[in-house]
Amino acid sequence: MSATTVPKDSDATERPSVLENYRDDGPLATALGRALGRGVKLPAIALLLVAGLPLLVAIVLKGEGASTGLVAGVLAWAVLAGGSASARPLTDRLRWAAPPALRALEYAGLLWIAAVAGGDSLPAAFALLCAITYHHYESVYGLRHRGVTPPAWARAAGLGWDGRLLLGVVLLLAGGLPAGFYVAAALLAVLFMGETVVEWRRFRLGQQPAYDDEEDDPD
Amino acid sequence: VLIATAAGEQGGPAAAQRWDDATVLGRLLDQFAGLGVIGVHVITRRPWAPALEPSLADRGVPARVHASESAAEDLRAVAEIARAAPRAVVVAYGDIVTQSEVLAGLLIDPRVTTGILATLGRVARPFGFRVRSRRGRVVSAGSPYHSVRAPNGTFLGIFKVSPSDRERLVAAAERLAALVEGPLPEGWEEELAAKAANWRRILAARASALHEEADAEAEPEEEGPALDHEALADPNLPPEADAEVERRRLSAAQDVTALLLVGLVRDGVHVGQSRLRSLFWARPLSAGGLERAKEQIGEHDEEKALLDAAVKGSDGFFTTFFVSPYSRYIARWAARRGLTPNQVTLVSLAVGVAAAAAFATGQRSGLVAGAILLQIAFTLDCVDGQLARYSRQFSKLGAWLDSIFDRTKEYLVFAGLAIGASRVGDPVWLLAGAALSLQTVRHSIDFSYPLARHQVLAAAPQPPLEAPLDSRRAAAPAQPVEARETDPPPEVGEMAPPPRGLPSRIRGLWRAGDRTPMRWLKKIIQFPIGERFAAISVTAALFDPHTTFVVMLAWGGFAIAYVLAGRTLRSLAT
Repeated sequence: MSATTVPKDSDATERPSVLENYRDDGPLATALGRALGRGVKLPAIALLLVAGLPLLVAIVLKGEGASTGLVAGVLAWAVLAGGSASARPLTDRLRWAAPPALRALEYAGLLWIAAVAGGDSLPAAFALLCAITYHHYESVYGLRHRGVTPPAWARAAGLGWDGRLLLGVVLLLAGGLPAGFYVAAALLAVLFMGETVVEWRRFRLGQQPAYDDEEDDPD
Repeated sequence: VLIATAAGEQGGPAAAQRWDDATVLGRLLDQFAGLGVIGVHVITRRPWAPALEPSLADRGVPARVHASESAAEDLRAVAEIARAAPRAVVVAYGDIVTQSEVLAGLLIDPRVTTGILATLGRVARPFGFRVRSRRGRVVSAGSPYHSVRAPNGTFLGIFKVSPSDRERLVAAAERLAALVEGPLPEGWEEELAAKAANWRRILAARASALHEEADAEAEPEEEGPALDHEALADPNLPPEADAEVERRRLSAAQDVTALLLVGLVRDGVHVGQSRLRSLFWARPLSAGGLERAKEQIGEHDEEKALLDAAVKGSDGFFTTFFVSPYSRYIARWAARRGLTPNQVTLVSLAVGVAAAAAFATGQRSGLVAGAILLQIAFTLDCVDGQLARYSRQFSKLGAWLDSIFDRTKEYLVFAGLAIGASRVGDPVWLLAGAALSLQTVRHSIDFSYPLARHQVLAAAPQPPLEAPLDSRRAAAPAQPVEARETDPPPEVGEMAPPPRGLPSRIRGLWRAGDRTPMRWLKKIIQFPIGERFAAISVTAALFDPHTTFVVMLAWGGFAIAYVLAGRTLRSLAT
């Protein structure tokens, strides 16, 4: 499957799939959701709070003094519980809270990893966060201005919030920081910006003859 | 499509009234031609066609007259025209007197795909049909036969339908044609009678209150809803007002424009709106009304309205009071120099990069220079959007660049400040990362929440087209119609508030402050971009990057808690 193209009409942003795309679930989270999420009948935001609570407590209590084992355990739980939320449809009243909760989970987790690793890991984490937040903003602005959601290949290659958190844990355990974060930041930046360029080119090629706002004069 | 079926004073079509050396209709056609409209169809009654033909000649846009016998035939003609139309379709009264700028705001602004022209406020124009909108979407519309509960705007007789919604306009027109052909559905006649009675009351109130200024076509702001229904139960109207009500009642029965709008809204079409702003609009059906329109139209400054409208209504306190007052003149200057919004966006980014580089020196002079450069970048950032709206140069890539560069500038400045702090031995990378995370999470809330609310609005069931009442009351159609004779009609009267839960009551109290200076305080608390950039500049120039990030986190953290609490309450209340 390539890009999920949302038809260009005034209702484009009202489709339920749009909010789902803001989640940025990776392949791992999707698999976890399939395996575990079916039986859980809680709204997504409730599962995400359960996923994030240990992280919050551990950061507050231990901060950068936490052991790498604690970091690994807490973040594994966050991925497990948060990933199982990926099967929960965003139809409840607080559905809008799920994407920001996932953002908070990922950013806080990566910053904590860097703080625990110490040394020059924090500027590396800042660089990584810049690449990731670019992706998160782009998926919103891309929908708003091009009317499309991110293509599946880019979503899989970007690993999703879950994959990136797990990658951070692996790098921490393997002693690969800060270099690992810098490399990840560079690779992701190339990937996400490349995606933007490809998508804009597709948009301009595909859209210009068919639909152009400036030409859209009324009868 | 122009619908010219309303009768004027002399019995002929109101659209054929003289306006300078043309007619009201001819003037409208000229305006459409200037806005790039490629063809006009004028629908009118058969005996009136000859009176309208001269208005169509030499108007710069091909136009033809369709003669029809009834409202049902009008609707079928609309369906046929819409089906064959190559592009978007506009349906309007043929006897509107307004300014080109008003029409441009609806017709050529790509931000409105399918939408209406409307004014805001509850009781703006006595004879207009009301609408209720939420988040820029029309959720209920009135017609001669349909009423609107808790209206917050008035439909000004012109709507645009995008190519993708055109099929639904055709379907609505055909359904409505079938409905108005036979005996009208239950409650429709009563609804129109109630409306006419209401118009009499409004005119009577005006006649007694301000005798001279009693003016059906006056500016919307002038007339308040303060009507005493008890005292005016059976008003004695001056004869000309009586005649006016009768004219409006007769033309309302032919008003397929409003009916079509109800058809679209009840079909669940996303109907947006373009606002009249401070411009002029009137629908004179008599010589007196026409005279007043001629007098008043010159008093509304199109250039000023365009410039005012270039400024976003939703801006924060700092932007509204410290940037927009002068940035709009930079925008106008740039428009006259022929600069494009994208050029301004790129210059703004360059200045933002320079600001980040200055911050990265870590020296006092660098921090001060960065603070000033950041403010220049922010001003240019306001200018590009205002220039786009002022000169109507909208491009999708331009809007995307504007949005993404805003974020780029902000986070580059964070990086610059953190680098500068490291150079003078005070590493603040953790604070910088936390500030970046907090702001992105905040934006994520701001993206997701309106989306979810729009989904709720779009999913809300619309009552069937036959029901004269919208919402809950439509569920019990049999009983209320009789009682309505004595009730204040829904246009003017307050409905009894529905029983409310605690979250809803807290929200009501909170919203009560929206018309006062409290509104600005609430905006400042939410830490919009103008306030953020001002806070960065001031703290960096006077103190150090460490202070900047502490302030960003404290203010931003408070803002996020505030916004989360408010939106959670609102979600649970409805």
